[in-house]
Amino acid sequence: MRLFQEFTKGFIKENPVFIMALGLCPTLAVTSSVQNAIGMGLAATFVLVCSNIFISLLKGLIPGKIRIPCFIVVIASFVTIVDMVMYAYTPEIHKSLGLFIPLIVVNCIILGRAEAFASKNGVIPSIMDGLGMGLGFTLALIVIASIREILGAGQWLGMNVMPAAYIKSPMLIAILAPGAFIIMGLLMGLINQMKKKQGA
Amino acid sequence: MSYFIKLGLVLLIITAIASGILAYVNDLTKDKIAENKVKAEELARIEVLPGTAKFDKQSVILPPVQAEPNPLKKQVAEGPLEFVYYSGLDTEGNLTGYTFVASQYGYSSEVKTMVGVDTAMNIIKIKVIEQAETPGLGANAATDVFRQRFEKKQISELKVDKDGGEIVSLTGATITSRAVTNSIAAGLQILTDAVGKEEER
Repeated sequence: MRLFQEFTKGFIKENPVFIMALGLCPTLAVTSSVQNAIGMGLAATFVLVCSNIFISLLKGLIPGKIRIPCFIVVIASFVTIVDMVMYAYTPEIHKSLGLFIPLIVVNCIILGRAEAFASKNGVIPSIMDGLGMGLGFTLALIVIASIREILGAGQWLGMNVMPAAYIKSPMLIAILAPGAFIIMGLLMGLINQMKKKQGA
Repeated sequence: MSYFIKLGLVLLIITAIASGILAYVNDLTKDKIAENKVKAEELARIEVLPGTAKFDKQSVILPPVQAEPNPLKKQVAEGPLEFVYYSGLDTEGNLTGYTFVASQYGYSSEVKTMVGVDTAMNIIKIKVIEQAETPGLGANAATDVFRQRFEKKQISELKVDKDGGEIVSLTGATITSRAVTNSIAAGLQILTDAVGKEEER
């Protein structure tokens, strides 16, 4: 039961983007289309699970004072290996995800979970935590990207969903950087409001 | 004191192992990656010059005057400026046309375009192979709608409409449109000269 909670907490209760406000840089950068959001979310989930496994295995060997540089070395090497192997053996997938893989190194959700969870817990809970947080991150990206793509391009996952007249002159600001800030801010506010009501 | 030496040693061991693994994986994958890059470029060449069975790599060294505006900026640092183009041959060995990569800095990134032209130097097709322009504006340069605007165009028509040319620029992205158009025009000029010289010989 506890394991299940480690898994589900990342969706809403401790959502990395909306609640913990982690990994905002990649969030703003890739949510201009739903396709990018799914790609980035899944790639980050994969790396997050793997780095959580490694860190929870290595936690006894790493002295506390130098844990952060050690985590970064582990994460960065892991991401680089994934990048090279994918480029060599699955060039098609690498073509669509390639842009996001180097970005994952600087995604602070990965370091955040290594520091806050994997370095203090066993392997199995760390896997569940990584999976839940990664999917929560993906979910948040998809929500933001859906709003931005529908408003900014009149499309969803590349399909036209708005009338042709709208697509011709859409609300371009939604797909540009300021739109990302505005939409993310509104969503965060909405979730905070909902949490407040639930608490009261 | 010895505690700090121990910390340094642990960090040294971890980074040494990590770089060892990375070096090994790099060695394992680098040939395959280079091969994939060549293959991807080959595919783009076939796309812009349909009906071609074989590509011959050719190049000309540019005189310094032509270096600006320069469609292959990156090569400046790498010694003499070389313009690489490929002539395409069909299965019977007839010349189908030429391809080259045009490249120029747009609004926020280097925009690279693969261009295919027929033997009379009319554009057959173009394909944007690398760009990181503004999504929703400049990034639309990679869409089919924009690519089709270049089909059957000649060098004299290669200017965006704002500069008095024939290419209708993208809404709100004149700079990107201009980068694509001007880099193709510059590349086409060099190609025309190079092919002309070869025929004289």
